[in-house]
Amino acid sequence: MSGRGFEPTRILLLLAFFVLGLGGFALGDVGILSKANLTSMAVFAVEIGIVALGQTLVICGGDGGIDLSVGAIAALAQVLLGLLLVAHMPWPLAVLIALASGAAMGGVNALAVTRFTIPPIIVTLATMFAFNGLALVFTGGINIDLTAMQPSFLALGQGSVLGLPLQLVAVYLPLLLVFVFLQHFSRFGRALYLAGANELAARLAGIRTAELRGWTYVISGLLSSLAGVIGAARLGTARPDAAEQMNLVSIAIVVLGGTGIFGGDGSVIGTAVATAVIAVVDYGLSYNNINPIYQAGVMGIILIALVLAENMVRGRGGLRRLWSHWARAASEDPSQGS
Amino acid sequence: MAFVELTGIVKNFGGVRALKGVDLSVELGRTHALLGENGAGKSTLIRILTGAHRPDAGDIRIDGTPRTFRRPQDAQALGIAAVYQEPMVYPHLSVLENIFAGREIANSFGVVQHAAMRRKVAPWLDRLNMPAALLERPMSSLTLGWQQLVMIAQALVQNARVIIFDEPTSILSQAETDRLFAIIGRLRADGRGVVYITHRLDEVPRIADRVTVLTDGRVRGSYPIGKASHEHLLSLMAGRAGQEPVPDTHGLPRPHRAPLAAAGKPAFSPPVLEVRGLTLEGRFRDVSWSIPAGCVTGIYGLVGSGRSEVALSVFGFLRGARGVMLLEGKPIAPRAPAEAIRLGIGYLPEDRKLQGIFASKPLESNLTANALGRFTRPLGRLDFSALAAAARQAMAAYNIKARGEASPIAALSGGNQQKGLFARWAARALKVLILDEPTRGIDVQTKDEIHRFVRGLAVQGLAVIVISSDLPEVLAVSDRVIVMRQGRVAGEWSAEAMTAEAILGAAIGARSEAA
Amino acid sequence: MPSDASAHPLAQPGGRVRRIFRHLPLPGEREGGLLATLVVLSVLIAFGSHGALFTPVNMDNLLVSAAITAIPAIGMTVVILTGGIDVSTGSMLGLVAAIGGLAFEAHWGLAAVVPVFCLTGAGLGLINAALIIPGRVPPVIATLGTLSIFRMLVFLVTGSNWITEIPPSLTTIFIVTRIGPLPMASVIALLMLALAAFLLARFRVGRHVYAIGNNEEAARLAGIRVRRIKLYAYVLLGLLTGIAALMTLGQSPMVQTSTGEGFELKVIAAVVLGGTELSGGRGTILGTLLGTLIVELVGDGVVLLHIQPFWSGVLLGAIILFSVGAAWRPARSD
Repeated sequence: MSGRGFEPTRILLLLAFFVLGLGGFALGDVGILSKANLTSMAVFAVEIGIVALGQTLVICGGDGGIDLSVGAIAALAQVLLGLLLVAHMPWPLAVLIALASGAAMGGVNALAVTRFTIPPIIVTLATMFAFNGLALVFTGGINIDLTAMQPSFLALGQGSVLGLPLQLVAVYLPLLLVFVFLQHFSRFGRALYLAGANELAARLAGIRTAELRGWTYVISGLLSSLAGVIGAARLGTARPDAAEQMNLVSIAIVVLGGTGIFGGDGSVIGTAVATAVIAVVDYGLSYNNINPIYQAGVMGIILIALVLAENMVRGRGGLRRLWSHWARAASEDPSQGS
Repeated sequence: MAFVELTGIVKNFGGVRALKGVDLSVELGRTHALLGENGAGKSTLIRILTGAHRPDAGDIRIDGTPRTFRRPQDAQALGIAAVYQEPMVYPHLSVLENIFAGREIANSFGVVQHAAMRRKVAPWLDRLNMPAALLERPMSSLTLGWQQLVMIAQALVQNARVIIFDEPTSILSQAETDRLFAIIGRLRADGRGVVYITHRLDEVPRIADRVTVLTDGRVRGSYPIGKASHEHLLSLMAGRAGQEPVPDTHGLPRPHRAPLAAAGKPAFSPPVLEVRGLTLEGRFRDVSWSIPAGCVTGIYGLVGSGRSEVALSVFGFLRGARGVMLLEGKPIAPRAPAEAIRLGIGYLPEDRKLQGIFASKPLESNLTANALGRFTRPLGRLDFSALAAAARQAMAAYNIKARGEASPIAALSGGNQQKGLFARWAARALKVLILDEPTRGIDVQTKDEIHRFVRGLAVQGLAVIVISSDLPEVLAVSDRVIVMRQGRVAGEWSAEAMTAEAILGAAIGARSEAA
Repeated sequence: MPSDASAHPLAQPGGRVRRIFRHLPLPGEREGGLLATLVVLSVLIAFGSHGALFTPVNMDNLLVSAAITAIPAIGMTVVILTGGIDVSTGSMLGLVAAIGGLAFEAHWGLAAVVPVFCLTGAGLGLINAALIIPGRVPPVIATLGTLSIFRMLVFLVTGSNWITEIPPSLTTIFIVTRIGPLPMASVIALLMLALAAFLLARFRVGRHVYAIGNNEEAARLAGIRVRRIKLYAYVLLGLLTGIAALMTLGQSPMVQTSTGEGFELKVIAAVVLGGTELSGGRGTILGTLLGTLIVELVGDGVVLLHIQPFWSGVLLGAIILFSVGAAWRPARSD
């Protein structure tokens, strides 16, 4: 499959990690393997997993691609949805509008990045402020209660199919298939890989790289709003501060899943498996009553450790190189830096 | 005695021998011109002299003492400085700070002493005819010519004994060139040694005391000025690997010249691609090319002559050129390479690593990158078996040696990578194919192979353009040659009329201009 | 030969005054625009709030907040000038406050606690530097990671409890004490800004910071100690964050687990707004000061004008996008 931009080693490693993690928590308390717990785990994973799919494409497109506004888009879309529902709009229409708003917010990012060539990190930092602020403005900072909405809407986040969570079976897994197709089997995915691998060569081969990258931000916005919608249905509330951890966690998942931060490689399959790993770690920690903030901390450690480890493997000499860097920084000998 | 003495310098890059035992000596108070085509090894030699590269063999003696340069500072400390073609500058810092970067004069608290720095540079400013007001301007506001003077000031402030100029005039206007020559004359009169690298033969007698001709990593000859005729130097430069100077007016042998598809018809009838009066400010001016089908048009010119820029404008990559572009008689104005490709124009870029290959990607992805549309099925699906088949076909047709179409292109040799990039374009149905330096930095055999492929495409009726600064290549592969010089067309020859001397002469602006 | 100086293309009617002041960090175009924005904003808010902007209480609040943002913004400016970035500043501030708070709880004297704040901050900055310089983790990833790690440590250190035993002397020192019209915090911030502006503009090390951001390769070849200066930058940012943490406790004498959340965004916004280019090599401390004042004024004005406070984020985002977008040269195809 290597011709399709797919790297199986990392995924096998992650799968092993997943089994080990689950096994480890099960050793502590076998109760974690109960159906209810596994279900909650999956439910948690779906929302962040959806966001991570979009983030994968953004990062894969290269040129400093990163989307820090995913959490804010999820929150604003969720709030819009809540307001529309409270105003008695039929829920399918409200959901559609919320999703369209997400795509539009992604469109703002896309425009700023590709048309005005502002670095993605600045653009999405600014839109993060803006969208988060708007979410607060629209609600006055108050949560919107949606528990009284139609069950058919709440089922989006609470229903089940064949004993499995609805959003996993009916939303995430089909979406994953679509994205596997998009990234590994479609022209779009191939062109995106090439753009991420060598921007200049891709443009000279007739690939419209700016256009491609723009679409990744729109897709990321759309998926973030979808995660926001599902989250609202799951908890029965629309909160303006719904998805604060999403930025870091989605980026951590993408990098963990084997997508290089400089673009041009990686796979949504890796992202999906990494999502499962993170879900296990996260749920395992919270199952053992560990504060969710530690989960974010552990995520940070995993993220840094992974990039560090990869740097060390790539730069021949590994640890020795690290130490010699240190020694040099101390006795600064600038000539050997290149 | 010579201040700098290099003997038997050898340098290999991978399998390529850039320098094959070069001797060079630089005396103080003398200007030594180093003459040679692109790729002759001049730049490598200079990097060795400035400590940026270490030689694989050979000795460096400075003032009689053998030295080893581990880093650029070692060479600087011994009084060797270089002024590069594209100056290494700090665009947002002032000129004064650029001159003193890393060597600021500061008091014991570390406060930079601008007054002292200005005092130190003042005498040199006079010598360089630089106004003192310049010192406070940001470097980015200066033209390249002035930036070069700043770099000379930097070398002088460092007390350089020997200053190396790496093709300094290629980016300069005539007035700037005259000014630079006067400055070089003064440096020499000061008792400094000057190494002047150039491929412009006409400049040599104006400034140099001695000239050394370098081709293919070897010294072909070294003469005091006046002891070698213009024609002799020209033939040395044009000559190749042990060959005697080429007196014959038909240029070098052209073994791959196949009969033209258009043979019998009036020569090169209607042009497929035509550009008329194309101008892009600062890059090229009033360029007209007329490119017929069924033959190879060579575009010869030195780096910086505007040849690639014209091609990139036709290809829609550079925008803003004024003038007319016609494809099969119809005006075109591509705004992106994607549009140019759709019109039937292909462009093989000159820098393989930077602009050509997707290093981390498999050969198959690389071969098909510009033709994804052809392999796209409903719903945007890529047809992988068709992709693989096309890749294998290209590998067979163009003799690309790789383990398989799935192996990463980075694992291939440079020659095979280049054949892959060539195949990327050759496999498409095009009207015009522009090949920019199609054989740079690859081995001789592959070079011959690619030349054969290029001829083959022309025979099939394609309009092929080969841009090259490799004169034998242009002679070997082209049916006609257009010469570019300093952003303008400097001459045009048909196969019967072209000679190495005439083309080279037009490209470097020598006296015996043929056009 | 350009012998005639007046006909020289580069000849400028050089005023003597200009030449005397050329190395002082005088306002350039960017700073002028920021200053104008600041004045217009102040006037609008002053009228809109019927003068509430200039009440002593509000001015004190504004000035102390600005000081707390401006001090780390100095370090952030240096980091960004070298071509890096640090998004962990908010969590770092929280962690320093928590560790320092514990020292207060243990009844350490002020003289002993101040070094704790400074050293903890510098130490955390050193961690970031270690990941980025020898570890070669891209700055965004490294500091995004430490953002959440430091936050986790806040919880670990405090046991999720509030620390309220902050001596009132901090408030006395930083806010009540004033020199002229300015609270001490602002005076300290101004002194630091002046010192930093001087260091960056006139000292060798400061010029090297710019050189690195302009052309790292050339700087290395010129013998500039690139790695060491980058290290200094992150450690300096840490140290200044530690000082800001101390002042934060003077402003509101308790440590919560959420102390400092979102602070990094305010700091980065101030620096970027102030005209420092993210690619490095260009920007001034004066710009950062003006950027800080605008950021704080927007936040304050939103309260004074009785707009929902949540608008401040929207406004800030819009201002950043607008100002960076306007300053960006749309030269892409090269």
